[in-house]
Amino acid sequence: MAGLLKIRLVTPDRILVDQTADAVEVPAKTGYVEVLYGHAPLLAEIGAGEVRLHGGEAGHQRYSVARGFVEVLPDRVTILAETAQRPEEIDTAAARQQLEHGEKLWNEAGEDPEKYDHANEVMAEARAKLDSAEAKSS
Amino acid sequence: MANVLDLRRRIRSVRNTRQITKAMKMVSAAKLRRAQERAVAARPYAAMLASVLESLKRRAEIYDPETGEVRHPLLLTRPEKRILLVVVSGDKGFAGAFNTNIFKAAASFIAENNGKEIDIEAIGRKGRDLFRRRYPAAQFAEAVDEERRPERQRGSAIEVVGEQTGVLEKLNYERVRELAEEIISWYTHEEVDAAYLVYNEFKSVIQQRVVVERVLPILSLRVHEVEKAEEPTIEERERAAEAALSAGVSLYPHEAEAAQRQFEDEVRNFGTAEVDYIYEQSPQEIFADVLPRYVTSQLYHATLESVAAEHAARMTAMDSATNNASDMIDSLTLTMNRVRQAAITKEIIEIVSGAAAI
Repeated sequence: MAGLLKIRLVTPDRILVDQTADAVEVPAKTGYVEVLYGHAPLLAEIGAGEVRLHGGEAGHQRYSVARGFVEVLPDRVTILAETAQRPEEIDTAAARQQLEHGEKLWNEAGEDPEKYDHANEVMAEARAKLDSAEAKSS
Repeated sequence: MANVLDLRRRIRSVRNTRQITKAMKMVSAAKLRRAQERAVAARPYAAMLASVLESLKRRAEIYDPETGEVRHPLLLTRPEKRILLVVVSGDKGFAGAFNTNIFKAAASFIAENNGKEIDIEAIGRKGRDLFRRRYPAAQFAEAVDEERRPERQRGSAIEVVGEQTGVLEKLNYERVRELAEEIISWYTHEEVDAAYLVYNEFKSVIQQRVVVERVLPILSLRVHEVEKAEEPTIEERERAAEAALSAGVSLYPHEAEAAQRQFEDEVRNFGTAEVDYIYEQSPQEIFADVLPRYVTSQLYHATLESVAAEHAARMTAMDSATNNASDMIDSLTLTMNRVRQAAITKEIIEIVSGAAAI
Protein backbone atom coordinates (compact mmCIF):
# COMPACT_ATOMS: atom_id res chain seq x y z
CA MET A 1 0.00 0.00 0.00
CA ALA A 2 1.38 3.30 -1.01
CA GLY A 3 1.48 6.13 1.47
CA LEU A 4 -0.80 9.08 1.63
CA LEU A 5 -0.35 12.31 -0.21
CA LYS A 6 -0.22 15.53 1.74
CA ILE A 7 -2.46 18.00 0.01
CA ARG A 8 -2.38 21.72 0.47
CA LEU A 9 -4.61 24.20 -1.23
CA VAL A 10 -3.44 27.73 -0.64
CA THR A 11 -5.23 30.90 -1.61
CA PRO A 12 -4.13 34.49 -1.09
CA ASP A 13 -6.42 34.69 1.92
CA ARG A 14 -5.63 31.51 3.73
CA ILE A 15 -4.64 27.88 3.62
CA LEU A 16 -7.87 26.27 2.59
CA VAL A 17 -6.93 22.62 2.75
CA ASP A 18 -4.15 20.93 4.64
CA GLN A 19 -4.98 17.25 4.66
CA THR A 20 -3.93 13.86 3.40
CA ALA A 21 -5.56 12.03 0.55
CA ASP A 22 -5.07 8.96 -1.62
CA ALA A 23 -5.37 10.82 -4.87
CA VAL A 24 -6.00 14.28 -6.16
CA GLU A 25 -7.20 15.53 -9.50
CA VAL A 26 -5.86 18.86 -10.62
CA PRO A 27 -7.06 20.94 -13.56
CA ALA A 28 -3.76 21.70 -15.26
CA LYS A 29 -3.96 24.13 -18.11
CA THR A 30 -3.63 21.41 -20.71
CA GLY A 31 -6.09 19.02 -19.07
CA TYR A 32 -6.83 17.24 -15.82
CA VAL A 33 -4.00 15.45 -14.08
CA GLU A 34 -4.60 12.82 -11.45
CA VAL A 35 -1.83 12.50 -8.95
CA LEU A 36 -1.23 9.41 -6.84
CA TYR A 37 1.42 8.75 -4.25
CA GLY A 38 4.88 8.64 -5.75
CA HIS A 39 4.17 10.84 -8.73
CA ALA A 40 7.21 12.33 -10.40
CA PRO A 41 7.90 15.95 -9.48
CA LEU A 42 5.80 18.22 -11.60
CA LEU A 43 5.18 21.89 -11.85
CA ALA A 44 2.24 23.10 -13.86
CA GLU A 45 -0.09 25.97 -14.23
CA ILE A 46 -3.72 25.34 -13.50
CA GLY A 47 -6.62 26.63 -15.46
CA ALA A 48 -10.20 27.05 -14.36
CA GLY A 49 -11.65 23.80 -13.09
CA GLU A 50 -12.07 21.57 -10.10
CA VAL A 51 -9.60 20.17 -7.66
CA ARG A 52 -10.90 16.81 -6.44
CA LEU A 53 -9.54 15.05 -3.43
CA HIS A 54 -10.16 11.36 -2.91
CA GLY A 55 -9.70 9.11 0.07
CA GLY A 56 -7.53 9.59 3.13
CA GLU A 57 -8.39 12.21 5.69
CA ALA A 58 -9.99 14.35 3.05
CA GLY A 59 -12.65 11.83 2.10
CA HIS A 60 -14.21 13.15 -1.02
CA GLN A 61 -13.96 16.88 -1.59
CA ARG A 62 -14.20 19.21 -4.49
CA TYR A 63 -13.06 22.78 -4.91
CA SER A 64 -13.61 25.07 -7.83
CA VAL A 65 -10.35 26.85 -8.54
CA ALA A 66 -8.96 29.27 -11.06
CA ARG A 67 -5.65 30.88 -11.88
CA GLY A 68 -2.73 29.35 -10.13
CA PHE A 69 -0.26 26.55 -10.29
CA VAL A 70 0.53 23.26 -8.69
CA GLU A 71 3.68 21.65 -7.44
CA VAL A 72 3.77 17.89 -7.20
CA LEU A 73 6.39 16.07 -5.18
CA PRO A 74 6.27 12.33 -4.57
CA ASP A 75 4.58 12.68 -1.21
CA ARG A 76 3.13 16.13 -1.40
CA VAL A 77 0.93 18.23 -3.61
CA THR A 78 0.67 21.94 -3.17
CA ILE A 79 -1.84 23.92 -5.12
CA LEU A 80 -1.72 27.68 -5.24
CA ALA A 81 -4.84 29.25 -6.61
CA GLU A 82 -6.06 32.81 -6.70
CA THR A 83 -9.60 31.70 -6.16
CA ALA A 84 -10.85 28.51 -4.60
CA GLN A 85 -14.37 27.74 -3.50
CA ARG A 86 -16.39 24.77 -2.44
CA PRO A 87 -19.13 23.98 -4.95
CA GLU A 88 -21.84 24.92 -2.48
CA GLU A 89 -20.26 28.31 -1.95
CA ILE A 90 -20.46 29.25 -5.59
CA ASP A 91 -22.77 32.09 -6.40
CA THR A 92 -24.38 30.80 -9.59
CA ALA A 93 -26.02 34.11 -10.37
CA ALA A 94 -22.68 35.87 -10.19
CA ALA A 95 -21.07 33.16 -12.29
CA ARG A 96 -23.76 33.52 -14.93
CA GLN A 97 -23.20 37.23 -14.95
CA GLN A 98 -19.52 36.65 -15.38
CA LEU A 99 -20.23 34.38 -18.33
CA GLU A 100 -22.35 37.05 -19.96
CA HIS A 101 -19.67 39.61 -19.30
CA GLY A 102 -17.14 37.28 -20.91
CA GLU A 103 -19.34 36.81 -23.94
CA LYS A 104 -19.68 40.55 -24.24
CA LEU A 105 -15.93 40.97 -24.07
CA TRP A 106 -15.55 38.28 -26.69
CA ASN A 107 -17.93 40.02 -29.06
CA GLU A 108 -16.24 43.34 -28.54
CA ALA A 109 -12.71 42.06 -28.78
CA GLY A 110 -12.35 43.08 -32.42
CA GLU A 111 -9.01 41.93 -33.71
CA ASP A 112 -7.00 42.26 -30.57
CA PRO A 113 -5.69 38.81 -29.62
CA GLU A 114 -5.00 39.93 -26.06
CA LYS A 115 -8.64 40.82 -25.57
CA TYR A 116 -9.74 37.49 -27.00
CA ASP A 117 -7.53 35.64 -24.59
CA HIS A 118 -8.86 37.66 -21.72
CA ALA A 119 -12.47 37.07 -22.77
CA ASN A 120 -11.84 33.36 -23.15
CA GLU A 121 -10.32 33.21 -19.72
CA VAL A 122 -13.26 34.99 -18.16
CA MET A 123 -15.70 32.65 -19.85
CA ALA A 124 -13.76 29.53 -18.96
CA GLU A 125 -13.73 30.54 -15.32
CA ALA A 126 -17.44 31.20 -15.29
CA ARG A 127 -18.20 27.91 -17.01
CA ALA A 128 -16.04 25.95 -14.61
CA LYS A 129 -17.86 27.52 -11.69
CA LEU A 130 -21.27 26.77 -13.15
CA ASP A 131 -20.29 23.21 -13.97
CA SER A 132 -19.12 22.39 -10.50
CA ALA A 133 -22.14 24.06 -8.95
CA GLU A 134 -24.44 21.96 -11.11
CA ALA A 135 -22.56 18.76 -10.46
CA LYS A 136 -23.38 19.23 -6.79
CA SER A 137 -27.11 19.56 -7.28
CA SER A 138 -27.44 16.60 -9.64
CA MET B 1 -15.15 82.38 37.38
CA ALA B 2 -17.54 80.04 35.62
CA ASN B 3 -20.47 78.89 37.62
CA VAL B 4 -21.15 75.39 38.80
CA LEU B 5 -23.86 74.69 36.28
CA ASP B 6 -21.63 75.52 33.30
CA LEU B 7 -18.86 73.35 34.62
CA ARG B 8 -21.21 70.47 35.20
CA ARG B 9 -22.40 70.77 31.62
CA ARG B 10 -18.88 70.74 30.28
CA ILE B 11 -18.00 67.69 32.34
CA ARG B 12 -21.00 65.87 30.96
CA SER B 13 -19.99 66.73 27.40
CA VAL B 14 -16.42 65.59 27.90
CA ARG B 15 -17.68 62.40 29.48
CA ASN B 16 -19.79 61.71 26.40
CA THR B 17 -16.80 62.27 24.18
CA ARG B 18 -14.79 59.89 26.29
CA GLN B 19 -17.47 57.27 25.89
CA ILE B 20 -17.26 57.60 22.13
CA THR B 21 -13.50 57.48 21.92
CA LYS B 22 -13.46 54.50 24.21
CA ALA B 23 -15.95 52.68 22.02
CA MET B 24 -13.95 53.53 18.93
CA LYS B 25 -10.86 52.22 20.56
CA MET B 26 -12.47 48.90 21.38
CA VAL B 27 -13.91 48.60 17.89
CA SER B 28 -10.52 49.32 16.37
CA ALA B 29 -8.93 46.74 18.63
CA ALA B 30 -11.39 44.11 17.45
CA LYS B 31 -10.89 45.07 13.82
CA LEU B 32 -7.16 45.09 14.31
CA ARG B 33 -7.22 41.54 15.59
CA ARG B 34 -9.11 40.41 12.54
CA ALA B 35 -6.86 42.35 10.17
CA GLN B 36 -3.84 40.88 11.86
CA GLU B 37 -5.14 37.38 11.37
CA ARG B 38 -5.77 38.04 7.72
CA ALA B 39 -2.33 39.47 7.22
CA VAL B 40 -0.76 36.40 8.80
CA ALA B 41 -2.98 34.02 6.85
CA ALA B 42 -1.98 35.67 3.61
CA ARG B 43 1.71 35.11 4.14
CA PRO B 44 2.08 31.50 2.95
CA TYR B 45 0.70 32.30 -0.46
CA ALA B 46 3.02 35.23 -1.00
CA ALA B 47 6.02 33.30 0.27
CA MET B 48 5.24 30.30 -1.92
CA LEU B 49 4.81 32.47 -4.96
CA ALA B 50 8.16 34.08 -4.36
CA SER B 51 9.95 30.77 -3.93
CA VAL B 52 8.43 29.28 -7.04
CA LEU B 53 9.59 32.29 -8.98
CA GLU B 54 13.00 32.05 -7.44
CA SER B 55 13.34 28.44 -8.52
CA LEU B 56 11.94 29.11 -11.95
CA LYS B 57 14.28 31.98 -12.39
CA ARG B 58 17.20 29.59 -12.33
CA ARG B 59 15.66 27.34 -14.90
CA ALA B 60 13.88 29.76 -17.13
CA GLU B 61 16.33 31.65 -19.24
CA ILE B 62 15.22 35.10 -18.49
CA TYR B 63 18.09 36.59 -20.37
CA ASP B 64 18.26 36.08 -24.06
CA PRO B 65 21.43 34.05 -24.60
CA GLU B 66 22.30 35.86 -27.80
CA THR B 67 21.62 39.48 -27.10
CA GLY B 68 21.80 39.36 -23.33
CA GLU B 69 18.53 41.21 -23.09
CA VAL B 70 15.85 40.51 -20.57
CA ARG B 71 13.03 38.57 -22.09
CA HIS B 72 10.17 39.40 -19.83
CA PRO B 73 8.72 42.89 -20.07
CA LEU B 74 8.19 43.18 -16.33
CA LEU B 75 11.88 42.71 -15.66
CA LEU B 76 12.96 45.38 -18.09
CA THR B 77 14.34 48.56 -16.66
CA ARG B 78 13.96 51.80 -18.46
CA PRO B 79 15.14 55.24 -17.48
CA GLU B 80 12.52 56.53 -15.07
CA LYS B 81 10.83 59.37 -16.79
CA ARG B 82 7.32 58.66 -15.79
CA ILE B 83 6.61 57.13 -12.44
CA LEU B 84 3.47 55.64 -11.08
CA LEU B 85 3.04 56.19 -7.39
CA VAL B 86 0.46 54.07 -5.62
CA VAL B 87 -0.44 55.60 -2.30
CA VAL B 88 -2.27 53.41 0.19
CA SER B 89 -3.95 55.57 2.80
CA GLY B 90 -6.97 55.05 5.00
CA ASP B 91 -10.62 55.50 4.21
CA LYS B 92 -11.34 57.29 7.45
CA GLY B 93 -9.69 59.73 9.75
CA PHE B 94 -9.36 59.66 13.53
CA ALA B 95 -6.26 57.57 13.27
CA GLY B 96 -3.66 59.89 14.66
CA ALA B 97 -0.75 60.53 12.33
CA PHE B 98 -1.54 57.53 10.15
CA ASN B 99 -2.64 59.40 7.06
CA THR B 100 -0.34 62.34 7.65
CA ASN B 101 2.70 60.10 7.69
CA ILE B 102 1.71 58.53 4.42
CA PHE B 103 1.23 61.90 2.79
CA LYS B 104 4.52 63.15 4.12
CA ALA B 105 6.31 60.17 2.65
CA ALA B 106 4.49 60.60 -0.65
CA ALA B 107 5.24 64.30 -0.75
CA SER B 108 8.92 63.80 -0.09
CA PHE B 109 9.02 61.13 -2.78
CA ILE B 110 7.46 63.54 -5.21
CA ALA B 111 9.88 66.27 -4.20
CA GLU B 112 12.84 63.95 -4.70
CA ASN B 113 11.69 63.06 -8.16
CA ASN B 114 11.29 66.62 -9.20
CA GLY B 115 11.25 67.06 -12.95
CA LYS B 116 9.86 63.64 -13.68
CA GLU B 117 6.31 62.99 -14.56
CA ILE B 118 4.45 61.34 -11.77
CA ASP B 119 1.10 59.62 -11.95
CA ILE B 120 -0.68 59.08 -8.69
CA GLU B 121 -3.03 56.22 -8.00
CA ALA B 122 -4.75 56.74 -4.67
CA ILE B 123 -6.10 53.85 -2.68
CA GLY B 124 -8.26 54.98 0.20
CA ARG B 125 -10.59 57.92 0.52
CA LYS B 126 -8.28 60.15 2.52
CA GLY B 127 -5.55 59.93 -0.07
CA ARG B 128 -7.93 60.62 -2.86
CA ASP B 129 -9.26 63.74 -1.19
CA LEU B 130 -5.82 65.15 -0.60
CA PHE B 131 -4.34 64.47 -4.00
CA ARG B 132 -7.43 65.66 -5.76
CA ARG B 133 -7.17 68.99 -4.06
CA ARG B 134 -3.52 69.27 -4.87
CA TYR B 135 -3.10 67.90 -8.36
CA PRO B 136 -5.26 67.86 -11.45
CA ALA B 137 -6.85 64.64 -12.62
CA ALA B 138 -5.51 63.03 -15.74
CA GLN B 139 -7.36 63.93 -18.89
CA PHE B 140 -7.91 61.35 -21.52
CA ALA B 141 -8.98 62.26 -25.01
CA GLU B 142 -12.13 60.64 -26.34
CA ALA B 143 -11.33 57.28 -27.77
CA VAL B 144 -11.32 57.85 -31.51
CA ASP B 145 -10.91 54.35 -32.72
CA GLU B 146 -11.59 51.24 -30.76
CA GLU B 147 -8.30 49.50 -31.00
CA ARG B 148 -5.99 52.14 -29.70
CA ARG B 149 -6.00 53.21 -26.14
CA PRO B 150 -7.35 56.68 -25.54
CA GLU B 151 -4.64 59.22 -25.82
CA ARG B 152 -3.50 61.01 -22.77
CA GLN B 153 -3.32 64.77 -22.63
CA ARG B 154 -0.90 65.70 -20.00
CA GLY B 155 -1.55 69.06 -18.44
CA SER B 156 0.92 69.06 -15.62
CA ALA B 157 3.84 66.99 -14.41
CA ILE B 158 1.92 65.43 -11.55
CA GLU B 159 -1.51 64.03 -12.14
CA VAL B 160 -3.94 61.75 -10.41
CA VAL B 161 -4.69 58.85 -12.70
CA GLY B 162 -7.00 56.81 -10.60
CA GLU B 163 -8.61 56.34 -7.28
CA GLN B 164 -9.83 53.33 -5.40
CA THR B 165 -12.14 53.96 -2.54
CA GLY B 166 -13.92 51.39 -0.52
CA VAL B 167 -11.33 48.77 -1.43
CA LEU B 168 -9.92 48.79 2.06
CA GLU B 169 -13.21 48.45 3.83
CA LYS B 170 -13.96 45.06 2.37
CA LEU B 171 -10.67 43.91 1.11
CA ASN B 172 -10.88 41.27 -1.53
CA TYR B 173 -8.33 39.83 -3.83
CA GLU B 174 -10.34 40.38 -6.98
CA ARG B 175 -10.32 44.16 -6.75
CA VAL B 176 -6.66 44.26 -5.98
CA ARG B 177 -5.98 41.96 -8.91
CA GLU B 178 -7.84 44.24 -11.28
CA LEU B 179 -5.79 47.17 -10.13
CA ALA B 180 -2.56 45.22 -10.43
CA GLU B 181 -3.44 44.13 -13.93
CA GLU B 182 -4.06 47.72 -14.85
CA ILE B 183 -0.70 48.77 -13.48
CA ILE B 184 1.01 45.93 -15.32
CA SER B 185 -0.63 46.89 -18.55
CA TRP B 186 0.51 50.49 -18.12
CA TYR B 187 3.98 49.28 -17.57
CA THR B 188 4.10 46.90 -20.50
CA HIS B 189 2.67 49.54 -22.79
CA GLU B 190 5.42 51.85 -21.59
CA GLU B 191 3.02 54.37 -20.24
CA VAL B 192 4.95 54.37 -17.01
CA ASP B 193 8.59 53.46 -16.49
CA ALA B 194 8.40 52.40 -12.88
CA ALA B 195 5.83 51.84 -10.19
CA TYR B 196 6.29 52.58 -6.54
CA LEU B 197 4.11 51.84 -3.59
CA VAL B 198 3.78 53.95 -0.44
CA TYR B 199 2.09 52.28 2.48
CA ASN B 200 2.16 51.68 6.19
CA GLU B 201 3.86 48.45 6.98
CA PHE B 202 2.55 46.58 9.96
CA LYS B 203 5.00 44.40 11.79
CA SER B 204 3.33 44.43 15.14
CA VAL B 205 1.23 46.83 17.15
CA ILE B 206 4.28 48.72 18.27
CA GLN B 207 6.25 48.36 15.09
CA GLN B 208 4.88 50.14 12.13
CA ARG B 209 6.64 52.13 9.53
CA VAL B 210 5.93 53.99 6.38
CA VAL B 211 7.70 52.40 3.47
CA VAL B 212 8.25 53.33 -0.13
CA GLU B 213 8.65 50.19 -2.17
CA ARG B 214 9.36 49.54 -5.81
CA VAL B 215 6.90 47.19 -7.47
CA LEU B 216 7.95 47.47 -11.07
CA PRO B 217 10.33 46.72 -12.65
CA ILE B 218 11.00 43.60 -10.63
CA LEU B 219 14.68 43.53 -9.88
CA SER B 220 14.91 40.96 -7.15
CA LEU B 221 12.38 38.51 -5.92
CA ARG B 222 11.48 37.66 -2.38
CA VAL B 223 13.17 40.74 -1.01
CA HIS B 224 10.88 43.69 -0.82
CA GLU B 225 12.60 46.52 -2.50
CA VAL B 226 12.23 49.12 0.12
CA GLU B 227 13.43 52.48 -1.02
CA LYS B 228 12.93 54.30 2.16
CA ALA B 229 11.37 53.63 5.50
CA GLU B 230 10.44 55.73 8.42
CA GLU B 231 10.45 54.16 11.83
CA PRO B 232 8.28 55.41 14.66
CA THR B 233 9.95 57.11 17.60
CA ILE B 234 10.33 55.39 20.95
CA GLU B 235 7.67 57.53 22.56
CA GLU B 236 5.22 56.63 19.85
CA ARG B 237 5.96 52.98 20.42
CA GLU B 238 5.42 53.24 24.13
CA ARG B 239 2.17 54.98 23.52
CA ALA B 240 1.04 52.22 21.19
CA ALA B 241 2.10 49.53 23.62
CA GLU B 242 0.07 51.12 26.37
CA ALA B 243 -2.96 51.37 24.15
CA ALA B 244 -2.67 47.77 23.07
CA LEU B 245 -2.37 46.61 26.64
CA SER B 246 -5.51 48.39 27.75
CA ALA B 247 -7.46 47.14 24.76
CA GLY B 248 -6.41 43.57 25.36
CA VAL B 249 -4.51 43.12 22.12
CA SER B 250 -1.42 41.03 22.50
CA LEU B 251 1.67 42.84 21.38
CA TYR B 252 3.41 39.89 19.91
CA PRO B 253 1.03 37.48 18.27
CA HIS B 254 3.74 34.87 18.45
CA GLU B 255 1.56 32.05 19.66
CA ALA B 256 -0.21 32.04 16.35
CA GLU B 257 3.02 32.52 14.53
CA ALA B 258 4.87 29.57 16.02
CA ALA B 259 2.76 27.17 14.02
CA GLN B 260 3.10 29.41 11.03
CA ARG B 261 6.85 29.52 11.24
CA GLN B 262 7.29 25.81 10.92
CA PHE B 263 5.04 25.97 7.93
CA GLU B 264 6.92 28.87 6.47
CA ASP B 265 10.13 26.92 6.51
CA GLU B 266 8.46 24.36 4.35
CA VAL B 267 7.06 27.12 2.25
CA ARG B 268 10.46 28.51 1.60
CA ASN B 269 11.41 25.23 0.04
CA PHE B 270 8.29 25.15 -2.03
CA GLY B 271 9.15 24.61 -5.64
CA THR B 272 12.85 24.65 -4.92
CA ALA B 273 13.41 20.97 -4.21
CA GLU B 274 16.53 19.72 -5.87
CA VAL B 275 14.74 17.53 -8.29
CA ASP B 276 14.08 17.80 -11.95
CA TYR B 277 10.55 18.82 -12.32
CA ILE B 278 8.48 17.83 -15.25
CA TYR B 279 7.15 21.07 -16.57
CA GLU B 280 3.78 20.99 -18.17
CA GLN B 281 4.57 24.20 -19.89
CA SER B 282 8.04 25.43 -20.52
CA PRO B 283 9.60 27.11 -17.49
CA GLN B 284 9.64 30.38 -19.37
CA GLU B 285 5.96 30.23 -19.93
CA ILE B 286 5.17 29.50 -16.32
CA PHE B 287 7.57 32.19 -15.24
CA ALA B 288 5.89 34.73 -17.47
CA ASP B 289 2.50 33.80 -16.08
CA VAL B 290 3.56 33.87 -12.49
CA LEU B 291 5.32 37.23 -12.59
CA PRO B 292 2.15 39.33 -12.82
CA ARG B 293 0.73 37.32 -9.93
CA TYR B 294 3.73 38.26 -7.92
CA VAL B 295 2.98 41.93 -8.48
CA THR B 296 -0.62 41.36 -7.44
CA SER B 297 0.42 39.56 -4.33
CA GLN B 298 2.74 42.41 -3.40
CA LEU B 299 -0.06 44.90 -3.81
CA TYR B 300 -2.43 42.73 -1.82
CA HIS B 301 0.13 42.38 0.89
CA ALA B 302 0.51 46.16 1.05
CA THR B 303 -3.21 46.75 1.39
CA LEU B 304 -3.59 44.09 4.06
CA GLU B 305 -0.75 45.55 6.08
CA SER B 306 -2.05 49.04 5.64
CA VAL B 307 -5.47 48.06 6.93
CA ALA B 308 -3.96 46.46 10.01
CA ALA B 309 -1.73 49.47 10.57
CA GLU B 310 -4.67 51.82 10.22
CA HIS B 311 -6.63 50.03 12.90
CA ALA B 312 -3.61 49.95 15.16
CA ALA B 313 -3.05 53.66 14.64
CA ARG B 314 -6.67 54.41 15.33
CA MET B 315 -6.62 52.32 18.46
CA THR B 316 -3.60 54.20 19.76
CA ALA B 317 -5.05 57.57 18.86
CA MET B 318 -8.36 56.78 20.50
CA ASP B 319 -6.64 55.53 23.59
CA SER B 320 -4.80 58.84 23.86
CA ALA B 321 -8.05 60.69 23.34
CA THR B 322 -9.73 58.67 26.08
CA ASN B 323 -6.89 59.41 28.47
CA ASN B 324 -6.96 63.08 27.63
CA ALA B 325 -10.70 63.17 28.23
CA SER B 326 -10.22 61.53 31.61
CA ASP B 327 -7.59 64.11 32.56
CA MET B 328 -9.89 66.88 31.47
CA ILE B 329 -12.78 65.50 33.50
CA ASP B 330 -10.52 65.34 36.55
CA SER B 331 -9.37 68.91 36.23
CA LEU B 332 -12.85 70.18 35.49
CA THR B 333 -14.27 68.32 38.47
CA LEU B 334 -11.60 69.88 40.65
CA THR B 335 -12.44 73.37 39.42
CA MET B 336 -16.12 72.71 39.84
CA ASN B 337 -15.69 71.60 43.43
CA ARG B 338 -13.57 74.62 44.14
CA VAL B 339 -16.14 76.96 42.70
CA ARG B 340 -18.92 75.31 44.66
CA GLN B 341 -16.88 75.43 47.84
CA ALA B 342 -16.09 79.11 47.25
CA ALA B 343 -19.77 79.87 46.79
CA ILE B 344 -20.67 78.08 50.03
CA THR B 345 -17.90 79.84 51.95
CA LYS B 346 -19.04 83.16 50.58
CA GLU B 347 -22.61 82.52 51.68
CA ILE B 348 -21.53 81.53 55.19
CA ILE B 349 -19.43 84.65 55.50
CA GLU B 350 -22.40 86.73 54.40
CA ILE B 351 -24.70 85.08 56.92
CA VAL B 352 -22.17 85.35 59.72
CA SER B 353 -21.33 88.98 59.02
CA GLY B 354 -25.03 89.73 58.64
CA ALA B 355 -25.70 88.17 62.05
CA ALA B 356 -22.78 90.04 63.58
CA ALA B 357 -24.12 93.33 62.29
CA ILE B 358 -27.37 92.99 64.19
